[in-house]
Amino acid sequence: MTAWLIELLIELWAAPAALGFAMLFNVPKRALWLCGTLAVIGHGLRHLVDVLHGDLVLGTLAGAVVIGLLAELHARRRHEPGAIYAISAAIPLVPGKSMYESVQAMLGIAVLPANADGSALIAIAGVSAIKAAMILMALAFGIAAPMLLRPDR
Amino acid sequence: MTSGTAIPSAPAPEAGTAPLADILALALQAGMLAHQSGASTHRTSLLMRDTAAAHGVALVDVMISSTNIGLTIMRDGESHTSMRKVPHMAVDFSVLCALSRWQAGTRSQPADLQGASAALARIAQTRTVYPPLLVIGMVGVACGSFAALFGGDLMAVIIAAVGATLGGAVKAWLLRRHFSHAIFATVASFVAILATGLLCPLSTTPNAALAASGLFLIPGVPLINAASDLLNANYLNGVVRLTLSAVVVFGLALGMSLALRLLPV
Repeated sequence: MTAWLIELLIELWAAPAALGFAMLFNVPKRALWLCGTLAVIGHGLRHLVDVLHGDLVLGTLAGAVVIGLLAELHARRRHEPGAIYAISAAIPLVPGKSMYESVQAMLGIAVLPANADGSALIAIAGVSAIKAAMILMALAFGIAAPMLLRPDR
Repeated sequence: MTSGTAIPSAPAPEAGTAPLADILALALQAGMLAHQSGASTHRTSLLMRDTAAAHGVALVDVMISSTNIGLTIMRDGESHTSMRKVPHMAVDFSVLCALSRWQAGTRSQPADLQGASAALARIAQTRTVYPPLLVIGMVGVACGSFAALFGGDLMAVIIAAVGATLGGAVKAWLLRRHFSHAIFATVASFVAILATGLLCPLSTTPNAALAASGLFLIPGVPLINAASDLLNANYLNGVVRLTLSAVVVFGLALGMSLALRLLPV
């Protein structure tokens, strides 16, 4: 199998990742397929930005805005809030890996012996935490922004 | 957050005749349902104003805080005010969806007060769609999928799913006993990471599994509603929701770091 096909198949995991949360948020059954589809589109777009040498924050913003826009377009015709589709679809874009790396490095600092140099750990902890925070903000505001297109709804 | 607006009143069957107290109760009933089901401040405020407008009330003032909603309605120099505490409930997008459709319906064809109140009661009763055990399992599978997205192997997917399912069960148990966000997030994340960590020798990509297994705690709805509130200039509620999200993420990190201390990774 070629490498790009494997990468494409990995993107499909975004669908079950979104579906679990859609069920947790009690999204109506008839809307589950859309949550999964939007999740794959959003995550795939982020991957595309990455392939085109963009960064993860920019990619997340692009993915989130597209998820938010498509959800709003679909919801508008049915008199529904776009958030019910967009929020679960956005979940797979959460920067879990950066958050984990940050916690791991902070724990490394906590267990550091006295007088040992922790500057490398501080760099990892800080960079990962700031990256995770920026991705989360890009995600939240990217999803919420398209809903403002209808300020009276 | 307050917003007072004069609304172009829609023609209602009993426009101008229904008692103000009954219209007030109906608008609050709708607002409480929306607020506790996970609507943004703006959406709840619009729903309450639309509900009052559909019954011929031209001037409405809405107040929404994170735990209370209040409403003043005025007609012909007479005014009524009421305030309710909104009980904390799980996010429910099925209710939000039904409310939106009901709101659109009342705009085109307003119902009488009794009919509207009965419709809202029906919406409130259609709560659970999925069995709780299925939801916990599916959220576990979702976290397993995260492990795959983080570059984990199939074993990482499975052990992250097992850990997250256990953590999800603990979270549900603690939520039923009304533990606060900081407590349930810390304990549930500790259990999930510990379980995944103990199974880690089975996988060649343990870090992907560990990073994924706590993500069932991600406060997606408060976080995105926070952004929505901030963008809509509902700053106070936006910051409250942002703080709530930060507390949950902090609990997740704390539980994770406690579990990692006990693990040989």
